[in-house]
Amino acid sequence: MSGIAKKMASNQKQIAISEFFEKNKHFLGFDSLQRSIITAVKEAVDNSLDACEEARILPEIKIKISKVDSKKDILELVAEDNGPGIPQRSIEKVFGQLLFGSRFHAIRQSRGQQGIGITGVVMYSQLTTGKPTNVVSKVASEPTAVSVNIGLDTRKNKAVKSDQDRIIWETDEMALKLHGLKVTTRMKAKYQRGRQSVYQYLRMTSIVNPHAEITFVDPDGEKHHWPRVTERLPRKVDAIKPHPHGIELGQLQRMCRESKDSRLTVFLRQNFSGVSMRAAKELCEASELSITTKPKSMKPDHIRALLEAFQGERLVGGKPIKLLSPPTNCLSPIEEMLIKKGLSKTIDSKFVSTMTRAPTVSHGNPFQVEVGLIFGEGMAADKHVEILRFANRVPLMYQQGGCLLTKAIESVDWRQYGLEQAGGKGVPKGPAAILVHLASTNVQFTSEAKEALSDNEFVFEESRKAMLEMGRGLRKHLEKKKKMAKTREKFELINDILPAIAEKSASILERPVPELAGSITRIMSAVICNESTTWNRETKETDVSITLFNYTSRARSYSILVNWPEKSGAVMTANERGGRKETMGIWGWKIETLDPGQKAEINYSLSNLEKGDWTETEVFFRGSQDVIGATKLDEKMLEEIRNQEKILAEAVVEVGEEENPETQYEPAGVVEGDTNQTTLFGGDN
Amino acid sequence: MARVNDPELTKTRLHTVVEEMYDRIVKGEPPTMTLPVRTKNNIGFDRKLGVYKYGKKRSTRDATSLGSAKNLLRALHVVEFIEEMIEAGKSSTLREMYYISEGWGLGKFGSQNESNNLAEDLEVVTSCLREDFKLRPEEDGARMIGNITVNELNRRGQWMTINARDDVGDSGYGVPYNVEIEKIELKEHDVNFLMAIETGGMFDRLIENGFDEDYKCGLIHLKGQPARSTRRIIKRMNEEWDLPVVVFLDGDPWSFRIFASIAYGAIKTAHISEYLATPSATYLGITADDILAYDLPADELSKKDIEALNAELSDPRFADGWWQDQINMMLEVGKKAEQQSLAKYGLDFVTDTYLPEKLGEMGLA
Ligand SMILES: Nc1ncnc2c1ncn2[C@@H]1O[C@H](COP(=O)(O)OP(=O)(O)O)[C@@H](O)[C@H]1O
Ligand SMILES: [Mg+2]
Repeated sequence: MSGIAKKMASNQKQIAISEFFEKNKHFLGFDSLQRSIITAVKEAVDNSLDACEEARILPEIKIKISKVDSKKDILELVAEDNGPGIPQRSIEKVFGQLLFGSRFHAIRQSRGQQGIGITGVVMYSQLTTGKPTNVVSKVASEPTAVSVNIGLDTRKNKAVKSDQDRIIWETDEMALKLHGLKVTTRMKAKYQRGRQSVYQYLRMTSIVNPHAEITFVDPDGEKHHWPRVTERLPRKVDAIKPHPHGIELGQLQRMCRESKDSRLTVFLRQNFSGVSMRAAKELCEASELSITTKPKSMKPDHIRALLEAFQGERLVGGKPIKLLSPPTNCLSPIEEMLIKKGLSKTIDSKFVSTMTRAPTVSHGNPFQVEVGLIFGEGMAADKHVEILRFANRVPLMYQQGGCLLTKAIESVDWRQYGLEQAGGKGVPKGPAAILVHLASTNVQFTSEAKEALSDNEFVFEESRKAMLEMGRGLRKHLEKKKKMAKTREKFELINDILPAIAEKSASILERPVPELAGSITRIMSAVICNESTTWNRETKETDVSITLFNYTSRARSYSILVNWPEKSGAVMTANERGGRKETMGIWGWKIETLDPGQKAEINYSLSNLEKGDWTETEVFFRGSQDVIGATKLDEKMLEEIRNQEKILAEAVVEVGEEENPETQYEPAGVVEGDTNQTTLFGGDN
Repeated sequence: MARVNDPELTKTRLHTVVEEMYDRIVKGEPPTMTLPVRTKNNIGFDRKLGVYKYGKKRSTRDATSLGSAKNLLRALHVVEFIEEMIEAGKSSTLREMYYISEGWGLGKFGSQNESNNLAEDLEVVTSCLREDFKLRPEEDGARMIGNITVNELNRRGQWMTINARDDVGDSGYGVPYNVEIEKIELKEHDVNFLMAIETGGMFDRLIENGFDEDYKCGLIHLKGQPARSTRRIIKRMNEEWDLPVVVFLDGDPWSFRIFASIAYGAIKTAHISEYLATPSATYLGITADDILAYDLPADELSKKDIEALNAELSDPRFADGWWQDQINMMLEVGKKAEQQSLAKYGLDFVTDTYLPEKLGEMGLA
């Protein structure tokens, strides 16, 4: 080949990579200079969080962006984590081979499925700066780290490594780094601030990853820090097999082609979830295939027939084939307490209401919706509330208006919960932020850009329900706050003002200061309950104290009940009054006689919780005279909780009994009922 | 009606307020302060005095809510403060008292309005005047011009004799905040009647045109809603010298109220109407029919104006037929006019034509 021809060929190959980027830049997230840097950070951070989660390590992530050349818009990104690192032999593949993701085909909730992966960043860097990306990786089992530059040979169109070396990797504190990964890369990109920025992405990431410690140094050298607020790692999730309701033709074709099974029934039983022996036989019958059909030898027509049977378009005995629901343990919700913590750490406000719905299923795909609302000082009261959207713990920062989760927020009449909203529709206004998280094995987006969730009535309904419930929590909180303010006023009246009136009037008239007890009883003429729930820094426990004052002229008798996070594993200690368990999460004490002018105190501590887990205790009472600061117990509600406890306890026994008709999956789509809800008392815990 | 200032009586009356609170606490009840309801629903005509006074409706402010408890405490502080001033022979403005209350801890005022209201509350329950309490208002009193001579006790304790025509400049004699007998003596006069005028512009026009001398009258500038001392000095001159009083105001709903406060007593000060109100005062103009009769340049009534007129229709002070007619006519015409709109016919029209015609109808010119 002549020199010119060679050059042309290489040019063509060069074009191949650039063309690939050009054609897919929207899908890859590199369609603008502003977005490119966000995408790069996102790929790196998602990988770090995923790797740490798998290795059960509490993540510490450091991101630094600096300007290398402002005229040419060249930025340098350094992303470092304390994850397991990548063994030397795999580095080249991870960073130099497209779609080398380890879990690309597994069905479970994970972050990694979204973008093209870290290789895209390496490519983009190479294409825009001509420079390779430096990777430093240290695995725990080796004494030194490996440092290597990964570039792309645009001529051969493949990854090349250079300058590989073993080095001693020290942390900023001059200690030896035990394990972790550091990526340093340069790219043409622009750093910007605002709603769509690296800062916002990291902030949102830290909200849904309260177990992560994230620091960020921006191009101006300003350091941002989002501390870890829980030591609890997200639950390890299991991969599940696809459910027949959620499968597409292409996927089914591939599964058949790759199958080594000799019988169709075995193939169906072993590669899909929710298929019982009977269902496998019925599926064969409906698709007019022999149970001994070899999947590998199936014709396109056969496969299409099988798919139709999956989707209930082919019937047996005039009915669609009954399939079991897919298991939902493949989902990893953030869970209420952690949403609460995550929100509280980036937004400085007192009240958070959260709601995690029970997992459910849509079209064979397990999913679960969680919502959180933070309300109060520190946020603009006259602006639209901030909407924080997440899919599988990944922040969604673009296309807010077109997203299903936004539509669910807009469909709620927030006015009844104390927010402003023109006409009871649209994004509400007020000092609040609303978080929505969809955890699902199959998140469906409106476009390749993967920034807005497409319409799905089940997900919509679940989100709406979650928000209604959470809204009730907000309303309750606001009502309680009002009541508390009133009570505080009364206490100020009898503790400060009344004594001052007595003293001053006595001194003007030159008479003795009169006794106040009688007036106090008349002024209050009520039984008042004071509750305080505080974190005790020394004992690392949450101290709860409840005081009941009888400011009436008669002796009173009450049962006092409280809610407490028993389900979250809290343990009640130092409860000297004893009392008894009413039901899961509800404790009660009997106060036999409370004489006029007397007070009764209940004190206990909650251990096995972290700071911020439990900040408000709800107090209930049984008794005839109203108690200011407590809610009269609704016996029906208590009964309801008891019933649900029973149902849940029974459900645990049934797990694994595949053919149980009670858990049969209805083709209609959604498992009804709220049996698994984690919040029974309004969600403000 | 002459008043005597008796510090001991003032103190005794203030103590009854304190005693009410004290006794209730001793009885094991929330302390209270009882006072007449101060709204237009609780004013009625007192035949004996010829003015409007508070009726029998009483409200009790009791310490069962934080707000009213604080109010009681403030009242005690104010009582103590007044006693101290009486003893020290000092006085203070309401505004000063508001600032002094900074040192009253829980009893401090939240706003100046609160302290003004409380001073009025105490007047109402004790039937004392705030002059007795040594509390002065901010508002300055009226200006007065005419052949009227008063003796005023100045701050050096000397009596000065002042003639409100010969001893003053063009701005006239400034009426002090206290016009009670211990401060002002009405010495002599050579006028046939008194004319109270709403705006400074009209007051100055009449002076420039020499109206006070031509028509032998005393002119008093009200400065909008007249201060208590202004109403009090008009009342004293009317009573002690038996001088007729005519009131010359803009022609709008707010002027009607000004007139009512001069002639019948103001709602806020109905407890002392017999000292402030001049029942024989006559409304000269601008009347609703003047607007039509003189074809005066007029403005449309605003929504607020109409509301005010409607409220006046149900105000007992405007219950008589003439007022009802005037108010209804203004509502019908839908217009209001200023005093100075008379200038449409030239600067002298008011003194050469309008006032002589009006005074003629009243038998004063
Ligand atoms: N920071 C990291 N620490 C440990 N392993 C990593 C890290 N980044 C990437 N990997 C490994 O490389 C694989 C490929 O990453 P990537 O190309 O981003 O695809 P994906 O995230 O979709 O799996 C990951 O699945 C993981 O096994
Ligand atoms: Mg990745």
